[in-house]
Amino acid sequence: MNASLASVFSLGMGYLLLMFLCAWAVERGWLSPRVTRHPAVYTLALGVYASAWAIYGSLELAADSGYGYLAYYLGVAGAFLLAPVLLVPIQRMTRTHQLTSLADLFAFRFRSRWVGTLITVISLLAVLPLLALQVQTLGDAIFLMTGAASPALLALVFSALIALFAMIFGTRHGREHARHDTLLAVIAFTSVIKLVAMLALGGIALFMVFEGPADLQAWLDGPGQLHQVSVLQPDPAHWRTLLLLFFAAALLMPHIFHITFAETLSRHTLLQASWSLPLFLLLMALPVPLILWAGQRLGSSEAIGAAYLAFGLSESFWVQALAFLAGLAATSGTLVIIAMSLSGMILNHMLLVAHPPEAQPNLYRWLRWLRRALMAAVILSGWLFYRTVGVNHDLTTLGLAAFVGMAQCLPGLLALLYWPGANRKGMVSGLVVGVSIWLAGLWLPLLTGLPSVILIPPGLEMLAGEPSWYVVTLVSLAANALVFIVVSLVTRTSDGERAAAEACSVDAVIRPKRLPLYATTGEEFKQPLAQALGEDVARREVERALTDLGMSPLDGRPYALRRLRDRIQANLSGLMGPSVAQDIVDRYLPYRRGGLEPTDDIHFVESRLEAYRSRLTGLARELDGLRRYHRRILTRLPVGLCAFGVDDELLMWNDALAALSGIDGASVVGARRDGLPAPWGELLGRALTAPHDHLYKQEVELKGAIRFLSLHRAELQADDDVRGGSVILIEDHSEMKWLEDELVHAARLASIGQLAAGVAHEIGNPVTGISSLAQNLRYDTDDPEVLETAQQIQQLTDRISRIVSSLVGFAHGGRHVKGTALAPVSMATVTDEALHLIRLARSGEDVRYHNRCPAELTVLGDAQRLQQVMINLLNNARDASDPGGQIVVDAEPEGELLKVTVTDEGHGLDARVRDHLFEPFTTTKPPGEGTGLGLPLVYSIIAEHHGRIEIESPPPGEERGTRICLWLPTQREDDEDTDEPDSDR
Amino acid sequence: MYVYRIMLFLVFGGYLLSPLLMSGWSSPGVAWYRPFVIWGILIALTLWLEQKRKLDER
Repeated sequence: MNASLASVFSLGMGYLLLMFLCAWAVERGWLSPRVTRHPAVYTLALGVYASAWAIYGSLELAADSGYGYLAYYLGVAGAFLLAPVLLVPIQRMTRTHQLTSLADLFAFRFRSRWVGTLITVISLLAVLPLLALQVQTLGDAIFLMTGAASPALLALVFSALIALFAMIFGTRHGREHARHDTLLAVIAFTSVIKLVAMLALGGIALFMVFEGPADLQAWLDGPGQLHQVSVLQPDPAHWRTLLLLFFAAALLMPHIFHITFAETLSRHTLLQASWSLPLFLLLMALPVPLILWAGQRLGSSEAIGAAYLAFGLSESFWVQALAFLAGLAATSGTLVIIAMSLSGMILNHMLLVAHPPEAQPNLYRWLRWLRRALMAAVILSGWLFYRTVGVNHDLTTLGLAAFVGMAQCLPGLLALLYWPGANRKGMVSGLVVGVSIWLAGLWLPLLTGLPSVILIPPGLEMLAGEPSWYVVTLVSLAANALVFIVVSLVTRTSDGERAAAEACSVDAVIRPKRLPLYATTGEEFKQPLAQALGEDVARREVERALTDLGMSPLDGRPYALRRLRDRIQANLSGLMGPSVAQDIVDRYLPYRRGGLEPTDDIHFVESRLEAYRSRLTGLARELDGLRRYHRRILTRLPVGLCAFGVDDELLMWNDALAALSGIDGASVVGARRDGLPAPWGELLGRALTAPHDHLYKQEVELKGAIRFLSLHRAELQADDDVRGGSVILIEDHSEMKWLEDELVHAARLASIGQLAAGVAHEIGNPVTGISSLAQNLRYDTDDPEVLETAQQIQQLTDRISRIVSSLVGFAHGGRHVKGTALAPVSMATVTDEALHLIRLARSGEDVRYHNRCPAELTVLGDAQRLQQVMINLLNNARDASDPGGQIVVDAEPEGELLKVTVTDEGHGLDARVRDHLFEPFTTTKPPGEGTGLGLPLVYSIIAEHHGRIEIESPPPGEERGTRICLWLPTQREDDEDTDEPDSDR
Repeated sequence: MYVYRIMLFLVFGGYLLSPLLMSGWSSPGVAWYRPFVIWGILIALTLWLEQKRKLDER
């Protein structure tokens, strides 16, 4: 008692000022997000668990029970060690459904707003002693330092400032389920202060009171033994019960629940806390026995009580200031977070349930001020409980009363995760029984000072004489769990509860139904929601949900609209609790009932399975591996595939179909069939309603081109499965259809060619006769005029013969005539002959031909067949040329080859077509004008002559046109077999 | 996921055997910090399991 009230007040105010400064620094961005979002900050924020109990209550418990005080730390460390199987599933659930408190979680799982209200009332009753404990330690610490007559008033001032802090920084965000960087950083700051202070006090005890670890051990083995005999080693059963209580506290206490689950933190960060939080708690627990033994050595425990031994370590103001600051830091952090979480629970499960916020003009502002008022009320009620009740009890009694009360929710929480068969009636019955035993056994005696009323069931008489906290814990939890199980088994579970149980269960995958909504686009959600939330809030909530999902407001897919509805409900749950949120969406965004029996939303189930992969083990993992493999078979099938549900909703759109249609699967899966882009909606509708399972070569326009698609349908309905629908295979038969057309055309041309050959033969006979008669005429007369006439007749009949011979050769497709020997052929002559024939055609008369082949250049070949080559090439060049264009045939020697070029100034060739020109039936001409056989024939003839052919389009240095280059040998090769060329080469 | 089973085993095994921790409070010749050393070893084990879990889920 060597400090003045003013100095202690200044110390406390200085600390609170630092808290506000820390908060401002984060708010203003003075601290880097890399610091404020570091996982260590989260671990330190979780250190809010180490409340004033950890600073003072642990000393009291250690003095009574020795290492029994460690239960407070080891219980919560055990819970975090089980983070992957216990905390992560709860975190996933709270995040998915935007649940911010235990009451939200229970109301969501057991589908009742009254369950939420019940949990809120129990939390409030249970937490009051803990709140009182915080304020009480504050008042006691001030009294110990100053000896002031009214420390409670100073405690009230500090509590009010802490409440002010919570009101300013705890309601910055409209919704709870958002990461409060400022708050987390400040709570981490308070954890650092209390950790440093405790370690410093432990150091003072070890090195200033004792002379180091060796001296401490010597004291423990010697004179210290006298002090230790008064310590009652806890019975193993008591110890385990304490562990269970503190294990439950890690999951159920509102302030721990808030930091662990309501703050949006990553799964990785939570898992990291499984070892980092126990480490923090180890460091917090380590100084406790040191301070206790130091206090015992100094003999100060008698004077100031075991809980506050740290104040007796030294007469120095600064040592006592450390003990005071450790307690104030722990108290402030705990009060702020409890006020935040309890205010949210009271608001969502008591006030909003009693008074729904129908069309509040400014909903966000209204909610914010309500929460601020509730925060102040929570902290004030803690102070009042301290003044009226707390002062009459020690810290252990207050703390245990709180922890045993909250532990009544443990059976419900475990059932929520691991027992889908649990129902509301069972949970409420068990909870009411357990809480009643707790109220009668611990809470009311706390309030009234009367002895505990505990009815020990028959067979458990050995519990008589045990500490009341122990008996109440065992009897209440056993009765709670037993009633819960029995009532759940004998009563019926509603459909809503069953669905929620599946959503909450660790092993289950949510299987929502495919129900249609009245709204047809996201935009249409705003108007009905405005009736409940007001226009501005409705617009902001819909836009926020659309942004969260990355959806367009005009997206009309039923699947997307269902996800939007779920997201809006989850977001409203974060704002007003799950009960009110569900009421609003059920009322204003209802599903359309009637019609077909709804089936599972397979697409959604699949997306959940994808997310759950790391959670699967054993057989489930193997099955999931098989599912993925089968799905991959379908998605990568090189044939288009889509599947529809019985309600015509698209369930699958594989990669091949996406490539064929140019429509990404993600943008259409979940849409109704009639909402698909043209021509797919109508085409697939035809396939679904056709009397037969196959539609062949349906003509559709895709990407500006006509395609021919064949569709094959199969029904998915099976006897042992309620899921029905249809699967459709879509094959692109366009190429085959074109080939068929070309084959028909070629066959027609072939028959015309045969006809032409017959006609030519019939013409050839009379022409030969005319030629013979003209010959005779020349022998029979000397009249120059007659001779000239006969000569002209002979020339003209020769010309007819050449034409007929060319026609026959062409009609025979350039077949090589057996026995024809290769001989030197002038390309100039061959070209002239070809031009002669070409000019007979009516088309292309205005195209100019230039034969620039030098007459002396010859190749070794079959003149008839080379003429065929030139006719085909010149024909193509003429067809490609514009009126007035010119075609040049040129030749030049290249070593032992002669290079012949045919160059036109036409439109050129498409690169894609150019690579296939020598394949049969490839043509650039309109249907009916080209057979696609000319160039393959040319290629074949050139190959027979051991030459080669290339196409340049456009020719080098030119902007348009095409040049065909032929290389033909000029002399015989030694091993060449010219008599029997292989026509198949 | 097999790592989770080890964790479950550790926690429940620890829960059952934990009363042994407290026997050293007043026993002469027993280092006072023994429970904290055991606790520290458990934390190191958890850290190691956490690393294993990350590899398992990769």
